[in-house]
Amino acid sequence: MRKKIGRRAAVLALVLSMTAGITACGNDSGKTEDNGSSESGERGTVTITMGRQTTANPKFPEGDSYEDNAYIRMVEQELNVDIKDEFEAESGDDYNRQVSLALSAGSLPDIMKVATKDELTELYENELIADLSDVYEEYASDYVKSIYDSFDGRALEDVTYDGQMMAIPATSSDAGPGMCWIRSDWADTIGLTVDADGDRCITLDEAKAIAEAFMAADPENTGNMVGMAFDARLTTTTSDTAFMMNSIAYTVGAYPRHWYQDENGELIYGSTTDEMKEALSILKTWYEEGVVDPQLGTRTWDDITALLTNGQCGLLFGSWHTPDWLLNNVYALNDKAVFEPYAIVNEDGKVNCTHYKATGEYVVVSADFEYPEIAIQILNLIYDDMMNSAELLEKYPEVNTYLNTGVDGTARPYNIEVKSNTYLLDEYSQLRAALNGEGTKEEIASAEERSNYDAIKAYQEGNGDVTGWCKLHSRCKGVDLLTYLTDNNLYNWLSPIYPETTTTMETNWSNLQTLEEESFIKIVTGAEDLDTGFENFVESWYEQGGEKILEEIREQIAE
Amino acid sequence: MLDTKSTSSKIRNTVIHIIVILLGLACLLPLINIVAISFSGSAAVTANRVGLLPVDFTTSAYRRIVEDSQFWRSFAISVVRVAVTLILNLVLVVPMSYVMTRSKREFGARNIYMNLLIFAMLFNGGMIPTYIVIKELHLLNTIWALILPGAVPIFSVILLMNFFNGVPKALEEAAIVDGANQFQVLIRIMVPCAKPSIATISLFSIVGSWNDFFSGLIYMQKVKDYPIMTYIQSLSIDLQELVNNASSSSALENVAELSNKNLNAAKIVVAVIPLLIIYPFLQRYLISGIVMGSVKG
Amino acid sequence: MKALSKNKKSPAKNAASRKNALCYHAMVLPGMLFLVVFGYLPMLGLIMAFQDFIPAKGITGSEFVGLQHFIYMFSLPDIGRVIRNTLIIALGKIILGMIMSIIFAILLNEIRMKFLKKTVQTIVYLPHFLSWVVLASVVINMFNIDGSVNQIIASLGLGKINFLGSNNWFRKLIIGTDVWKEFGYNSVVYLAAITGIDAGLHEAAAIDGASWWKRVWHITLPGMMPIILLMTAMNLTSVLSAGFDQIYNLYSPVVYEVGDVLDTYVYRIGLVGRQYSFGTAVGLCRSVVAMILLVSANKITQKLTSQSIF
Repeated sequence: MRKKIGRRAAVLALVLSMTAGITACGNDSGKTEDNGSSESGERGTVTITMGRQTTANPKFPEGDSYEDNAYIRMVEQELNVDIKDEFEAESGDDYNRQVSLALSAGSLPDIMKVATKDELTELYENELIADLSDVYEEYASDYVKSIYDSFDGRALEDVTYDGQMMAIPATSSDAGPGMCWIRSDWADTIGLTVDADGDRCITLDEAKAIAEAFMAADPENTGNMVGMAFDARLTTTTSDTAFMMNSIAYTVGAYPRHWYQDENGELIYGSTTDEMKEALSILKTWYEEGVVDPQLGTRTWDDITALLTNGQCGLLFGSWHTPDWLLNNVYALNDKAVFEPYAIVNEDGKVNCTHYKATGEYVVVSADFEYPEIAIQILNLIYDDMMNSAELLEKYPEVNTYLNTGVDGTARPYNIEVKSNTYLLDEYSQLRAALNGEGTKEEIASAEERSNYDAIKAYQEGNGDVTGWCKLHSRCKGVDLLTYLTDNNLYNWLSPIYPETTTTMETNWSNLQTLEEESFIKIVTGAEDLDTGFENFVESWYEQGGEKILEEIREQIAE
Repeated sequence: MLDTKSTSSKIRNTVIHIIVILLGLACLLPLINIVAISFSGSAAVTANRVGLLPVDFTTSAYRRIVEDSQFWRSFAISVVRVAVTLILNLVLVVPMSYVMTRSKREFGARNIYMNLLIFAMLFNGGMIPTYIVIKELHLLNTIWALILPGAVPIFSVILLMNFFNGVPKALEEAAIVDGANQFQVLIRIMVPCAKPSIATISLFSIVGSWNDFFSGLIYMQKVKDYPIMTYIQSLSIDLQELVNNASSSSALENVAELSNKNLNAAKIVVAVIPLLIIYPFLQRYLISGIVMGSVKG
Repeated sequence: MKALSKNKKSPAKNAASRKNALCYHAMVLPGMLFLVVFGYLPMLGLIMAFQDFIPAKGITGSEFVGLQHFIYMFSLPDIGRVIRNTLIIALGKIILGMIMSIIFAILLNEIRMKFLKKTVQTIVYLPHFLSWVVLASVVINMFNIDGSVNQIIASLGLGKINFLGSNNWFRKLIIGTDVWKEFGYNSVVYLAAITGIDAGLHEAAAIDGASWWKRVWHITLPGMMPIILLMTAMNLTSVLSAGFDQIYNLYSPVVYEVGDVLDTYVYRIGLVGRQYSFGTAVGLCRSVVAMILLVSANKITQKLTSQSIF
């Protein structure tokens, strides 16, 4: 018997000693290997652990990895640090799981990115992350500060809790409105005058007239013309896409798939408004008149693209960058094709447009990390020096190679967008200056625009390829139009609310989206009556969780 | 046969044959479909035109696998994991099950141990505490995190114990009379007698550790350390996206991903090959094992 | 030996049994070490269920909140949904799976062509050995909106079904594919039981003019009954595990309503959702119920076969 007790005691002792090991979660990070010089303010080599968000196909050159690549080597050398990855995971569920596991053991990496405001708030409330206000003030470069300031405080406000800056936010800049792209070579051929007053803006009726003129003329003798085609989803949350009816809806004051507060402060979901009904009625009329694709709803994305490449359709709605990834297909089959973008105006002659959410993701620093300034120094190095200083790239030619060969941005210690709200226009103005001789290629700050310059120049001189055609269209026409709208003060901005995903959204949202898509398509194609169909949709939308979601978002706003 | 050769029995026999063959096909065809996809051109795969035979036959997917170092790394991790787990399992389980066959009179502590085993089979601390233990032992990102937590499969202990119970006592007693100690009894008498059921638990161990994806998901912080099934799991297409896009056209970004379907199918096929190689043994031993485990007595 | 056992107190016997006991301990302890470290040590973490666990403070530093999480759990509508899904899916799998395996075993037993029988057996056992990671790809391939099943449905002129994203179909899909995966392998036991039935009974009945159906009903099935009862008892232990691997690899938020089961819920809430204490509490409840079930199953098997599982 005594023996038994002894054994039990031994087991117990073993268990207890193990427990001691568990609870004594030491955080080894942030220790200097050589801090003899730390007194003088110079720190020795610091080991930092990071949580890294990865992508399936980063396109590393042979031998490079997330932990050891050109960016990391540059940062390690410039800042005298040693970067170790605590975990690497693809964004989404995998990354969230790694963050949760690390958190459960009470040991966050020194620096990591979190995807949502929810997580940021939770980390703040648990006192796990460091206040960056001071180090940002002290270390952030003027350029970096100017970028965040360009959002009129919207960017930093988002990460400020009780006056403390708890994260480095990623920025998300406005992309302007969806434009109406028109085959100007056709207009010339058939002698159609588009935009007689030359203000680069057209009304809905004018757009429709152009589509009708193209249908009647059939410039490429396809015998099967379509006025304008739309994707079955009809609406979208961003303007960074094509084949949507957003631009049409915006002109009548409908903002489908956007949340915003009306003048009374009442929270509204744009797809359920009377304005949306009006927008649908416009499309419905056009559909009945035959201007809109009779196969609306069944034509897939690829089919619509084929309409354009086959010369069956000469008008589409899409963002400024549509030429880069969609219209290039048209040029590839017909190098005579030329497009011209126009903005669609409302009855006051203004362009209705929505602001994007100012911030995307967040970089946080562990509360235990001894050198939070390193996070800011990385920010300066990657998003200021690397972008703006040719010297740095000369010193690290392999980084330059990375930039030019399209190695994925996730290779950087942390990959966020840090660009001013107006970067698109700023970069373009340098490009334009260089192209029309007022400036030089060397004065173009961004590496990407410099390569665009070369492509466009080559195209203009008659020996360009499809890239030159694309960049000419997207920059000298697309962004040029955005510049024009800004310069002439033609925008009418709406600042939507971008809520965090609520619990009801998590389970019901995709069903609500399906409901919306199906109802809208049925209304436009006449499968359902406009009045009763829309009424039914709004009713079902509220019933199937919309009401609850509105309530949840109101709570979010109140917080 | 006893069956009268009446027409009705002939019809019945035909119907039974047809049903059985159909069930067999139902199990086989979906697997053949994956193989066919792996040998098809990506355009045909994306367009869902592949049935039971490859369309636009190509071995390009397999050629790409050959060059995919991560795939082989994960494959190797799994091979090592399976081998080490198997050895460890046998070394630990065989003696344990033998001791568990002792009566309380022969070994006083038997019941205590048995209860500890049963309790550990029923209860576990859950994911987070286990994770913390693994982390504190500094096993994260090592192959040991995949091996050690499953070092003692209790179900196998019970299965083997039941088999050892069936070995005639007389054999053991004779050996002891010859002066053998318990280790020798185990090695010389029990193990040879229990070969089929040791094969059974070995196969359980192999199949289990080859197929497990979850521990890799939790204990490996980087894709480069993933075992094969975790790796395959990480390739799987984003279901959410698939479900949501069901009613509309696939988003632009997905096109590139979808065209990888034949490559992913090929990876699946290669990842299953080791199991197919041992399948004849699986069939022979696992099936006799399961019958023995549940229908004895 | 007889002499030894009669003379219990002989010193020689004592020495031998001490030596044996040492041997036995040596055989068990290595395995026990692993069990203690990876099985019992983490169980200390169950304390979390009674705490408001804050990772930075650890188990020793977090505040105790008693049964708060358990009370909260039963006030959550989610839990009702999750338990309902778990039971429906698990029972569906058990019942349909057993029926399917029994029928298949009876039919297969009628096949006289050795080659055919062997081939079919080889094929139907195969899915059992494949991981759900692999089979999920197969299932997604077949049942997605453009998959082969929907192509067949469409060619029959019916509307396509979004199996993976439909609250009407998802549970059926989960149950169906699991039955598909396991019926062959599970039929092994029943096949063995059928072969154990005295062939003379069949012969006698056939001579009496009993039809095949009658013989299956009155001889085969009753003959299998002990096994069927035994398997039912064993299967009952799994009514709380509706199959994590399968559902994890096939579900998405759209079908949480019908597809979210205890194990996936604990994973999502307790791990990804970082409600560590709450997740642990739910997991603990699940373990307790599972243990009760297993102990009862063991009792039942003991009654049925006069032998216990352990």
